Amino acid sequence: MNGDRGPLPAIAERASVMADAFEPLFWYITFWTAAGFLLVCALLAWCCVAYRRKPGQISTPRILGSHRLELFWTVTPLLIFLTFYVWGVYVYDKAVHPPADAPEVFVIGKQWMWKAQYPNGQRVIIGGNPKNMTEEDRQNIGALVLPLNRPVKVTFISEDVIHDFGVPAFRQKIDVIPGRYVSTWYQPTKLGEFHVFCDQYCGAWHSLMVGKITVVPADEFDKFLEGKGGLQGSPNPVDGSLAHRGWQHFQRLQCQSCHMPNAGAGTKVHPRAPSLEGVFGRQVPLRGGGTVTADEQYIRDSIVNPRKHVVEGWEPIMPGNYGSQVTEDELAEVVAYIKWLRPGTQLAPNDRAVPPDGAPRVTPPPPVSTGGKQ
Amino acid sequence: MSIVVADTPRTAPPPPEPVAPARNYLNETSGFWSWLLTVDHKRIGILYLVSITLFFVVGGIAAGLVRTNLLTPNGAILTEDQYNKAFTAHGVVMLFLFLIPSIPAVFGNFLVPIMIGAKDLAFPKLNLASWYVFMIGAAFMVWGLLSGGIDTGWTLYPPYSSRYSHASVTPGVFGVFITGFSSIMTGLNIMVTVHKMRAPGMTWGRLPLFIWAMYATSFIQLLGTPVVAITLVLLMVERVAGVGIFDPAIGGDPVLYQHLFWFYSHPAVYIMIVPGMGVVSEVLTCFSRKNIFGYKAVAWSSVGIAVVGFLVWAHHMFVAGISYYSALLFSFLTMLVAVPSAIKVFNWVATLYRGSITFQAPMMYTLAFLVLFTVGGVTGLFLATMGTDIHLHDTYFVVAHFHFVMVGGMVLAYLAGIHFWWPKMTGRMYSDFWSRTSATVIFVGFFLTFVPQFILGYHGMPRRYPNYPEEFQVYNVLSTAGASILGVGYLMPAVYLTLSLFFGPKAQANPWSATGLEWQVPSPPTVFNFEYLPVTVCGPYEYAIGVDQLGRGLPEPPGSGDDNPAAKVGPTLLPGPLPKETEVVG
Amino acid sequence: MSASTHGHHAVLKHHFDNLEQQHSAERLGMWFFLVTEVLFFSGMFVAYTVYRHWFPAEFQFASSHLILWIAGVNTALLITSSLTITLAIRSAQLGQRAALIRWLLLTFALGAGFMGFKALEYATDVHEKLVPGRMFQEEYASAVAELAPVDPAAAGTFQFKGGQQHWAQDLARRNNHLVPGSDGYVSPERVQIFLCFYWIMTGIHGIHIIAGLGCILWLVQQAYAGKIPKENYSTVEVVSLYWHLVDMIWLFLMPLLYLAGAGLHASGH
Ligand code: HEA
Ligand code: HEA
Ligand code: HEC
Ligand code: CUA
Ligand SMILES: [Cu+2]
Repeated sequence: MNGDRGPLPAIAERASVMADAFEPLFWYITFWTAAGFLLVCALLAWCCVAYRRKPGQISTPRILGSHRLELFWTVTPLLIFLTFYVWGVYVYDKAVHPPADAPEVFVIGKQWMWKAQYPNGQRVIIGGNPKNMTEEDRQNIGALVLPLNRPVKVTFISEDVIHDFGVPAFRQKIDVIPGRYVSTWYQPTKLGEFHVFCDQYCGAWHSLMVGKITVVPADEFDKFLEGKGGLQGSPNPVDGSLAHRGWQHFQRLQCQSCHMPNAGAGTKVHPRAPSLEGVFGRQVPLRGGGTVTADEQYIRDSIVNPRKHVVEGWEPIMPGNYGSQVTEDELAEVVAYIKWLRPGTQLAPNDRAVPPDGAPRVTPPPPVSTGGKQ
Repeated sequence: MSIVVADTPRTAPPPPEPVAPARNYLNETSGFWSWLLTVDHKRIGILYLVSITLFFVVGGIAAGLVRTNLLTPNGAILTEDQYNKAFTAHGVVMLFLFLIPSIPAVFGNFLVPIMIGAKDLAFPKLNLASWYVFMIGAAFMVWGLLSGGIDTGWTLYPPYSSRYSHASVTPGVFGVFITGFSSIMTGLNIMVTVHKMRAPGMTWGRLPLFIWAMYATSFIQLLGTPVVAITLVLLMVERVAGVGIFDPAIGGDPVLYQHLFWFYSHPAVYIMIVPGMGVVSEVLTCFSRKNIFGYKAVAWSSVGIAVVGFLVWAHHMFVAGISYYSALLFSFLTMLVAVPSAIKVFNWVATLYRGSITFQAPMMYTLAFLVLFTVGGVTGLFLATMGTDIHLHDTYFVVAHFHFVMVGGMVLAYLAGIHFWWPKMTGRMYSDFWSRTSATVIFVGFFLTFVPQFILGYHGMPRRYPNYPEEFQVYNVLSTAGASILGVGYLMPAVYLTLSLFFGPKAQANPWSATGLEWQVPSPPTVFNFEYLPVTVCGPYEYAIGVDQLGRGLPEPPGSGDDNPAAKVGPTLLPGPLPKETEVVG
Repeated sequence: MSASTHGHHAVLKHHFDNLEQQHSAERLGMWFFLVTEVLFFSGMFVAYTVYRHWFPAEFQFASSHLILWIAGVNTALLITSSLTITLAIRSAQLGQRAALIRWLLLTFALGAGFMGFKALEYATDVHEKLVPGRMFQEEYASAVAELAPVDPAAAGTFQFKGGQQHWAQDLARRNNHLVPGSDGYVSPERVQIFLCFYWIMTGIHGIHIIAGLGCILWLVQQAYAGKIPKENYSTVEVVSLYWHLVDMIWLFLMPLLYLAGAGLHASGH
């Protein structure tokens, strides 16, 4: 990890199978080119010393050349160069052909940030210039999380200009082009945090379009994909908590088809119900006058007996039969989740950056594109 | 191993009297307009020399800004936007206003006619026009740089350059477009001149290698430049009219731009080295008093580079979304194009073998070229190898690679040329001590500047980054320190060469005792170069026999300088029967 | 010949040894220049070919709305002008000054005629808003809006502007009720790409014609002033080389731009 800011090591940090494929080739080329270079230097130095002008000496032999020698130093470098080529093809081939069964992560580049979306629909901002993000994006800044020793295919597209997703520790790099999908793959071999750079010049904050990749043990990653884990940078409740289980019931019961994040501000979909973000503890205005404090009891009532308090400005359309669909335990978990929901933490239906056709997308919106059991 | 001996020329008459004519191309006419309206290829060469020196200073100042800013991880002096404009200005000015016209326009103009025994280039007015076109193009670029700057990088990739940048891209691109025509005009002129204007006896096989190099360069200019010109037109239309063919928003393809751009710009990098290789062949033979080793190989490898150089452009795009198979092909062809350069390097080294070497400034610069170009060239192989380019692409490794070939290669060859032909162009000699010192300082400063960049690149530091992770700082500071030394090294010739104009001793017609036709005319030459019809009788590098291309003997070569005054006592020339014997190598 | 001509002809430039050398240098220079020109256009041809391969339907559609008859007439004009300039060379070779001037003027007239028709064509295109960019988009949008209330079943009875099938309406009707990207959908964006090619290629070609016309006028003036003696006919030849090239390029442009849509029966012109 370069995070410790020490001096650069002689061999750059390696953290993927591609890095392991790169290094021998790199040093192989270094060996031959250094040998060639030193040979040239040595010959030059020798000639300059041995054949410097001696006093009184001007005449030199009239040497015009030698086809045999020339042939020799045409063919020898060519053969050496061709070994670079062949080995280079082998490594490149590996780099551009992801294993067929790898799970796919989708990454969108735009000026000047990276956004990732996992197969379970979870989104995270991998990095970029915070000055130029929305409030919501800023809260989602995290890292691209990848499993240790497991291949992951990554498909990229750009929303505007050409970017490039480079991960030095993985020795991988790929131009991210607008209007076109490109894919590569990573198989990390080391836990830790690694730099992501935008390597293609893309405007003012090109140099701030940097981010992080976090490599975690594979089982942690699996749990996360199943919707059980909360990973760093994700807005989901922490794995195993009441709220986390409540979140899963919330998905299963399709509450989010009416209760969308933040009352649909800026979305094209018209919300049918008030947003539940930050409702807990608030004074809720009721139809027909009066307010009530949204405590646990109020929330429980609103679920099992929605007609009891109708929120001002909304139609009483919420189904009344949820009480029969959940146990009391589960109800407590749902309430815990709603208590947990703060502004900006409920995942949005995907209307802002809808991945184009063919993008990895497990759950289409609506319902809200978070994982969990269907 | 036996070697080939060419048909030997007859005898060597004594060298011509060193006449310093009262009238020469510099003082024949005078006044402002006599320069601005001149059609004399030598004066036009000087016009170019003055202009590009100016642009080199501009580009150098931009480089200074870039390097100073990189002293700290978050930008020492510039905002991100200013930095982007600084490196773009640096790249654009250095390439289009300095390096591309450097040797071709300065020495190509000045020397090609004289070297082949002609009175002028084939189209003198076109030649003058090329300078004006160049200056007009430069004016547009400067306008672009002053009116808000250009922030796209010299590669101008759309859709950033066409749809997103708010900077003054259009005038800048228009300027590049226009200077392209100047380059075409020069190339065309030189090609026709070499074909049609050679003096009697100056067969293709007797052309100095500098001419071969210029011929190959002109070929590239002629075939490559129009393609980039039209590409830039398409780009400007997209930018100005808001619709075009590269914009993916309407179904266009930004990668197509890259194909068209590199179709020119890869060959263009050979415009930026092949002329330098020509200079090296001239200087190396002269200061080792040897025939070039393998004339044909060196000549044809220039042509080979020019031709194959057109087939490798997509090696800039291995990670840009080209197809797997085209990547395979282009990588392979790039390996092939590297071979002629290797041939040249080894032939040059072999030329030194059993020579009688002295180390005046042109030679010092040339030796530095050999070392630095080899580093630059072999690091190109890391980039040509697909597996390694994936990681190294668009990192400082690439930056270091191209500075080694362009600055360590071409700029040093250009300086070698300046030092070699300065007496011819100005009629004055410069300080021997200071010129050797500057070569040494530049060599050391150069290594210190760009070697750390290889390390940075290998560790993944991206190019065009004003902000970088802290662990990269040490090497950036080293590089900036090196750049300061380099800057001092460049400043020195500026000073002693200028001083030489006023205080330098008068130069002989042939101060280096060289064989080319340009040395058989006075220093500085007269307006029409030759007072007689020069009849070439032998190849260009008969140092061993001691005859110039007219078959006359050579004057005493300058000794080995300060360190070996005893050398001066040697015989003047080698009269008598020429060796017919075959020399044996190795 | 070299020695004798040296004295009495001002046409020999100081830096050439003889006229023969001078002429062959001029000719070679022009040939090299033509090579440059070919590469200049080739960039566009390559790009055009790529896009046509990708977007055949749109290219066909857009091409079918160009004015074919003007292109036809213009082709005839240019081919004829190539003949007349060749006759001009012959006259120059024979030293027939009057005939030379006549042929040159005729060539000029044909070239000018080409530009005249071109101007007419451009004017019509602009009038029809067949210009990529805002003009195009607004025209298309209004055609779509006009079409919207019409029941697809009644599309046949739809009244087009001026009774003609204007491109925007043609396009709107084709795309009516089609999802972008589906079969048969003609993407207006890609139509604009074709139009970009059309304007840039014909525009640059037009600039070349104008440059050629300038050269021909200059020749006329030279001939008039008696500066094109027999021995110096190569000046005419050099200009004619250029003119032929411009002509040739048109012969490529014409099918690429105007005949690409030949299969599509749509044009109202
Ligand atoms: C003068 C200019 C110049 C020259 C001569 C070269 C020469 C070469 N270049 Fe370079 N190149 C540039 C200027 C130049 N380049 C520039 C400006 C860029 C960056 C553009 C940008 O993106 O801004 C670039 C980028 C660049 C790339 C793209 C990198 C990337 O962006 O990912 C590649 C990839 O193949 C490449 C390869 C080569 C090769 C193989 C050569 C070869 O021709 C080199 C051949 C020479 C030798 C090989 C040395 C001599 C050999 C020997 C002495 C033998 C030694 C013996 C053994 C090893 C056995 N160059
Ligand atoms: C001819 C070509 C040429 C030359 C000579 C140079 C010369 C130098 N270059 Fe340049 N460089 C390029 C061509 C060239 N470069 C190109 C094409 C790019 C890519 C641009 C892009 O990405 O678009 C680039 C990019 C580039 C970068 C990368 C920027 C980035 O990606 O973020 C850096 C960083 O160190 C750099 C440094 C230098 C240095 C230190 C020199 C030194 O050699 C310069 C030393 C010179 C001086 C220091 C000035 C000399 C002094 C005088 C003449 C005296 C007068 C001066 C004063 C009074 C102050 N260059
Ligand atoms: C058909 C749409 C619909 C569905 C499905 C739905 N609700 Fe509601 N919900 C509403 C509406 C409308 C209101 C506001 C009117 C009201 O109070 O009845 C509301 C109000 C609420 C409130 C009180 C909100 C406040 O701002 O005070 C809570 C808590 C609540 N719902 C929880 C849930 C939970 C948990 C689920 C899933 C198990 C759910 N809802 C499913 C429509 C729905
Ligand atoms: Cu994104 Cu650079
Ligand atoms: Cu290249």
